Amino acid sequence: MKRRHFLKGALYGTGGTLVALSGVGTAMGPLTPRRAAAAVQESENTVYSSCEMCRNQCPVAIHVNKGKVVKVEGNPHDPAMGGALCARGQAAPSLLYDPQRIKKPMIRTGQRGEGKFKEVSWEEAYKYIAENLKKVIEQNGGESVALASRKGPHDWFFRTIGKAIGTPNMFSHESTCPMTRAVAFHTTFGSEGIAADFGNAKYLISLNRNWFEGIHVPQTKAVMKMLNNGGKLVVLDPRFSVTAAKGEWLPVKPTTELAFVMAMAQIMISENLYDKAFVEHYTEGFDKWAESVQDKTPEWAEKETGIPKEKIIKVTREFAAAKPRAILDFGWRTALTSNDYQLRRAILIVNMMVGNFEVPGGLYQVKAAGVLKGFPDQAGYAKALGGVKQPGFPKPAKGRIDGTGVKGTPGQLIPAYDGAIGQLTESTLTGKPYPIKAWLVHRFNPVIGIPETEKTIAAIKKLDLIVTCDVYMTDTAYYSDVVLPECTYLERTEQVYDMSGLTPKYVLRQKAVDLVYPDTKPAWQIYKELGEKMGYGKYFPYKDINDFVSQQLTQAGLTVDVFKEKGLWTPPGMKPFYVRGTDPKAELALLATKSKKIDIFSDEVQEATGEGIPVYKQHPQPGEGQFRFVQGKVAVHTNDGTHNVPVLNELMPTNTLWINVASAKKLGIHDGDNIIVVAGKYEHKGQAKLTEGIRPDTVFCYHGFGRISPELKRAYGKGINDNKLISDDLGVVGNSVSSMTFVTLRKA
Amino acid sequence: MDALAKKHYAMVIQVAKCLGCQACTVACKFQNHVPEGQYRTKTPVVGPNGTYPNVRMYFEKEACQMCQVAPCVQVCPTTASHYNEDGVVLVDVDKCVGCKYCMTACPYDARFLNKETGTADKCTFCYETRVSKGEKPACVSTCVGGALMFGDVDDPQSDVSQFLAKHKTEVRKPEFGTRPSVYYVYEGVK
Repeated sequence: MKRRHFLKGALYGTGGTLVALSGVGTAMGPLTPRRAAAAVQESENTVYSSCEMCRNQCPVAIHVNKGKVVKVEGNPHDPAMGGALCARGQAAPSLLYDPQRIKKPMIRTGQRGEGKFKEVSWEEAYKYIAENLKKVIEQNGGESVALASRKGPHDWFFRTIGKAIGTPNMFSHESTCPMTRAVAFHTTFGSEGIAADFGNAKYLISLNRNWFEGIHVPQTKAVMKMLNNGGKLVVLDPRFSVTAAKGEWLPVKPTTELAFVMAMAQIMISENLYDKAFVEHYTEGFDKWAESVQDKTPEWAEKETGIPKEKIIKVTREFAAAKPRAILDFGWRTALTSNDYQLRRAILIVNMMVGNFEVPGGLYQVKAAGVLKGFPDQAGYAKALGGVKQPGFPKPAKGRIDGTGVKGTPGQLIPAYDGAIGQLTESTLTGKPYPIKAWLVHRFNPVIGIPETEKTIAAIKKLDLIVTCDVYMTDTAYYSDVVLPECTYLERTEQVYDMSGLTPKYVLRQKAVDLVYPDTKPAWQIYKELGEKMGYGKYFPYKDINDFVSQQLTQAGLTVDVFKEKGLWTPPGMKPFYVRGTDPKAELALLATKSKKIDIFSDEVQEATGEGIPVYKQHPQPGEGQFRFVQGKVAVHTNDGTHNVPVLNELMPTNTLWINVASAKKLGIHDGDNIIVVAGKYEHKGQAKLTEGIRPDTVFCYHGFGRISPELKRAYGKGINDNKLISDDLGVVGNSVSSMTFVTLRKA
Repeated sequence: MDALAKKHYAMVIQVAKCLGCQACTVACKFQNHVPEGQYRTKTPVVGPNGTYPNVRMYFEKEACQMCQVAPCVQVCPTTASHYNEDGVVLVDVDKCVGCKYCMTACPYDARFLNKETGTADKCTFCYETRVSKGEKPACVSTCVGGALMFGDVDDPQSDVSQFLAKHKTEVRKPEFGTRPSVYYVYEGVK
């Protein structure tokens, strides 16, 4: 027997597909790669679904052979995807067949963080959770139970448990990421559903936005389309990101971005470059803005931002000349400074100054069914999804621990769905404003995902109960009392969700293969079963997920067939709908602000913070020997979610600390040196990467490394966990603050 | 290359459009069952070059250059490395004895010994699995930046032919006289 006959293709968890085919002595004869591949193609079928390697849920085509996922591609039926998919999405089978996934429910047997667990049945796990939750609720009230999840389709099921308990304290991860942007959208347009039509723009300015490393396939492709059509990209970022490399890089001094934006407004007003007709017709409070930026000259902005005034003037003139196909991007991870929401508000105002709302190449409101109904000639395309009707939930006995929703305070602005996750550790530790005794965590990893890791661990150690449901033994799961194994997205169907843009668009995640590990379950089943155990069965009025989906679709007059055939639904024949596409004075029937105008001055913000117009605030700058610490995304990893996925770990197993060459030289640090990064009382080991691609006063690392769960065997202990160094300060609207930590460096 | 070849497949890489996102790298691994730690294609960064703040950086996809005068074919003692009927350089694993001559001969370091099969391995343009069925290679289909084009340069109507007629392209290491079928366009980066 020749060695080549032993070909075992089962790599990256392609799952033994070839092993199954390659049995020596089968009728197939020697299995050369050619023959194996041909065999794979023969019985392949395609399941359309949506990706979950990150939160963007891109439509995908999953290729299945003999019950195994062999390859995943972008859904070719979705023009926004065009068959393309990022490296993370392509790595799906590597996650699916990873032997390091958690396979059975577990209950802790040692101390928290000791890593000692016993495998239990689901029945035992539910019983344990139900009994211990009941104790917490009896002793401290339902509000002492907090829920935290990465925002997503699982929330409907997960949060039903929280609502049934009667706790107001339910958190998404958003306050560590785009929440201030949502606040700005809501207070300016009256809706969080605002998006940008990058593909049709001619001029695009990024403030730390990094489409080419923080990849959202449709948006990344749209920005490439703009560039390929001759559009210009300007990138303000302290670090030379891949996005910066594709445009003009302006290495802005971090935390001063608002100065640049205010100077743009000042220039456009003083040079008469803005769209007066738009501003007069559609906006409210422009005079107050004009007054507040009057002294925000390019000279002043140069001192603040470090960007030469000539450059600020040139970019502003070019931007205004491209109107209305000019976009000043509103950001993605917008948790940079304590007053970040003001930067986002100012960005939106400058966009409105070029009148780019509801025209090609500008900003627009997402055309979900509810929005379309306000436009008689479009209403026919609106097919609103139904929902599963739940009985009324008990009203929480107390307000939220983070002050969300309290009128006349900044909490008024915090989106009720998201809350300020940074407050959770604080309240758990201090018992203020009242005690938090239990955390339920779903597909979220606060130990790595929110600032100040050691504080998070200390908070967890104080709890009476912590339950985590995930696909891996994450760092948070490692410290939990009960660990529930969810199956991956390739093994579950989920409810239809609305991914509307310029047209409505519904996408269905569909199960591609049977459970790889039979004791894992989907969220819709886990929380229904747990709910039934706790006497909350009535809140889960669906038989299974297919029943849930049909309750949604029946009301919309759609069937599941279209999703089986193509994976998504958009209204046949509908063209992208820009309200002002043909009539520049068209009524913006979609504006949901009280004034029915675009609020440049916001009464709501005025009431909440006293700053109805964005106000510039100087933030501290690093002193001698200090560096500002910033973080970001890389194309092959998602937040803290993919670092242990075999093929992605292989591509990038660790991170480094980027230091400007000249700055490193002063400290005697060489490329590749082991260093200690010090931030106040916290220290972290790391490796130095010397580069010309970063400001001399700033250091950078990619997020999500330096993992502390030894069960993440590939990622454990590799690289720098940025959140160990960042302090858990909260911004005005409850956002985490990721760019205001200073560090010093020394050789290890 | 065989003068009777029916087609001449080629790839064009527009470097300025490449994001270095490695979607192609991973697509290739699953399409072709490439073993752990080995790659038929990879897209490393070049740079950043220059001095702060005047720096440049781009990515350069690496794989078999599909030479029309292929040193690997010339040195192969068993004719495992060969040009197929469409001019694509392939390895017949039934004939390969793993002698590594081709790996030494390749000026592009594009070959490796597949640790599962023990035979020489490299990019095939996904000839057997996709191209022969009228599809594009996996890397081309998945390219997020739209940097990759693929087609028959002997067909004047093909996208690649029309593109090559209008743009300045380079091949890697032309001094070796290998006449690669992978063309690089550096407009906007050099």
